[in-house]
Amino acid sequence: MTITSPPAQTPTTGHSRGPAGGLMRRLNIITGLIGGVVGGLVVYLLLHLVLSSQSNFFSDQVTTFTFVGWDIGFLAGMGAFNGPINFLLGRDLSHDDHLYLAGKDQGASRYWKYCTDHKVVGIQYLIMTMIVLFAGGALAMLIRLQLAAPNGAIFNPQVYNSLIGMHGILMVAGLIVAVTGPFGNFIMPIMLGARDMAFPRLNALSLWLFVAAAVPLLAVFAIGGISNGWSTYAPLSIQDHIGMDAFSVGVITFILSTTVSGVNIVATFISMRTKGMTYDRLPIFPWGVMFSSAIGLFAMPFFMVGLILLLSDRVFGTSFFLAFGGGNNWLWANLFWLMGHPEVYVILLPGVGAILEIATVFARKPLFGHKVVIGGMAGIAGLSIIVWAHHMFTTGWAPSLNGPFMLTTELISIPTGVIILSLIGTLWRGNIWMRLPMVWVFGVIWNFIIGGITGIYLSDVPVDNQMHGTMFVVAHFHYVLVGSVMFGALAALTFWFPKITGRYLDEKIGRIAFWLVFLGVQITFLSMFAAGLAGMPRRVTAYSKALASSNGISTLGAFVIMAGMLVELYLVVACWIKGKPAGPNPWHSKTLEWQVPTPVPLENFTVMPVVTSDPYGYGEPAEPAPVVVKEGAEL
Amino acid sequence: MTIDQNDVEPIAKGKRIRWGELAVIWLVLTVITVVGSLTIIPRLMPRAASNSMHLTILTVVVFSIAAAPVGSFVYAVAAYGLRHWHGGSGDEPPADGPPLRGNNPITVVWLVTSTFLCVFLLVWGLAALSADDAAASRSSMTVDVTGQQWLWTFHYPGTSITTESLYLPINRTVTFDVTSLDVVHGFWILPMGIKIDANPGVTTTVTVTPNKLGTFDVRCSELCGLYHAYMTAQVHVVTPGQYRAWLAGNHQA
Repeated sequence: MTITSPPAQTPTTGHSRGPAGGLMRRLNIITGLIGGVVGGLVVYLLLHLVLSSQSNFFSDQVTTFTFVGWDIGFLAGMGAFNGPINFLLGRDLSHDDHLYLAGKDQGASRYWKYCTDHKVVGIQYLIMTMIVLFAGGALAMLIRLQLAAPNGAIFNPQVYNSLIGMHGILMVAGLIVAVTGPFGNFIMPIMLGARDMAFPRLNALSLWLFVAAAVPLLAVFAIGGISNGWSTYAPLSIQDHIGMDAFSVGVITFILSTTVSGVNIVATFISMRTKGMTYDRLPIFPWGVMFSSAIGLFAMPFFMVGLILLLSDRVFGTSFFLAFGGGNNWLWANLFWLMGHPEVYVILLPGVGAILEIATVFARKPLFGHKVVIGGMAGIAGLSIIVWAHHMFTTGWAPSLNGPFMLTTELISIPTGVIILSLIGTLWRGNIWMRLPMVWVFGVIWNFIIGGITGIYLSDVPVDNQMHGTMFVVAHFHYVLVGSVMFGALAALTFWFPKITGRYLDEKIGRIAFWLVFLGVQITFLSMFAAGLAGMPRRVTAYSKALASSNGISTLGAFVIMAGMLVELYLVVACWIKGKPAGPNPWHSKTLEWQVPTPVPLENFTVMPVVTSDPYGYGEPAEPAPVVVKEGAEL
Repeated sequence: MTIDQNDVEPIAKGKRIRWGELAVIWLVLTVITVVGSLTIIPRLMPRAASNSMHLTILTVVVFSIAAAPVGSFVYAVAAYGLRHWHGGSGDEPPADGPPLRGNNPITVVWLVTSTFLCVFLLVWGLAALSADDAAASRSSMTVDVTGQQWLWTFHYPGTSITTESLYLPINRTVTFDVTSLDVVHGFWILPMGIKIDANPGVTTTVTVTPNKLGTFDVRCSELCGLYHAYMTAQVHVVTPGQYRAWLAGNHQA
């Protein structure tokens, strides 16, 4: 089948509007911000007119719907509703409109618009992720300042509780998108041999929902904070001030974003692969991203439902989670952890995919056990949805289920072990090219073993009875989330930076950043294990003097991490502007994204590639060639 | 246009593995981890004041020892690789390594080993759980525990005693019936290794047998608002005679 291109040169034919006109072409982040502020203000004023300010729920109602107004106004101002509105009016977007939306010939201004090009969305995600993660990191520094001394009196408890809650949610949100957002969007479609994502406009929507979500989340501080951790356990969260309303709207918006993006990624993975890109030839990174998105589609809505019910309790006076009205706080805990544990693997799997991808390129060897790893990822994905109640061993919710949840939790170590086997199997007898991305991968190997093994103690119910809610848990999941996922994201950034920007990250400065972050993580969290074993609870403003030295060391380490991250930030900015130029395939990789020019052209491939083998043929005879781009292949 | 394979380096000759060296690295790391687990962990954890806590400390040590060879193996391969498989960090990649796409026997050995470890963890955990259950059935004494922001109160059923610090006789199994008046709290006797949430509207139970005389900390283990860090109480474990005297002295008939 051959599809002829529409007559793009004569755009006036076939629709009523001129090519350069239309409201759509005037929208950007400025109109978005104006729309958001206007939307919020309109709702705010309307509710003051309509509702009785005598009601106990008045301020919660106003806050909640003001932020909903912000969301809608912001998206309208960005142009998110143009497509649906045009559709309802019976006007389809013209070919010209589509090219405009894809950012054709708009230079840097397309990064500030509702742009459908997956590469633009990837870079937008990269910037947003860095902003969110640095905001979360700054809060971590404040937390460690408070904990530097046993009776650290820097922040009052309300501010301190806000710090821990917002640190948690910003870091979790940032890490959920840290690999999938930038690289799942920029790199994965090219790896599949696609010209864009399956639903380009949904892709833009997911990004701008993420931006919209950041505003209420950051506004939480301005309106009094939250007096809770990021798990916002009811009924404490129902007692809370209006900051909790902004928190809920922000997180709900964020979950809409991940859900939209999850649908898009799974659809792209299934339907956008080029000719010959069978599942067994597909590189491992898209598999990791796909499994992560698929788990997210299952898991994230639980949290959204929970927050809607929670808002209902706060705003309308229902009692889903309030015992005196027949509700139960265990319902909240279940909804939260039905999201909360799969979410760990939503965060982990794209990072794992990236690390394995990097390991094959830099060990100059095929991926060890390609299909076994895919099976391992599938195993993790499957088990991840039936382990949630290991966070609830000490809640008293269902003691008879403690044994079964201990079983499922311990089982998950088997597929995780398979991934470790693949990683060291890929290094085995290789010629390891120790460039910067590989340095981060070795960091992951070190941290992931510590993070993984300490998780096994916590799966044991009697041990968890002691360790639950202590700094031991905090140290454990920071070894996983920072030591493994953040390191994996930085490995991915270092690896794909030449494709995204056409430049290398500097090896020397990069190694300084690595060693600072690596040593900082060991100092901070090994010493936090000691505090946790000694029995220091998490989320406290003060602690016993006996724990002063371990906490002092943790605080010191935390600032070393921050120093390393600032060096890394400098590195990224400086090298983006004037780093050493890199060719289209600087790492001599065989995956498809390295076979296209840098910068990647608008539609990625001038002719569609036909794939005849997987991209891991390192050290194998030259035929069959892994990638053949045939002249005149069908478009 | 064909992207051909002229840039592929000649197939690298397989390198011999120095098994002895690899084994030595592995062994040394394992021994360090095992010795560290045996010496450091018990020193970091609180001195046990109940059998539950003894078992918890033992479990952490045993799991560390069981994990030591596995983690050390991965570290040994990584360390050996950095030493012997280092291909430089120059501008051009080293020659390709051997095309090992997998190894079924090794994968099976790996899976079987991890499954055995998993079964060991599970059996160990279930045995400990059933020991706890058996202890609970021997319980001959109950204390009602109520959490509220930011205070613990303890009531001894059958007496008029309601107090803010606990008295328990040594070596007698006690069950706590725990509830909350407002938000979720966590009832945690730190050196006894027991913890259960205090939930509004329901009662949860936890059982322990104190086996050490002394005064220990009760802490709140779930964030419960502003003064969560200060929501503590004390538990005094005393001899049966002292306990009877304390009961008699405080009970008003």
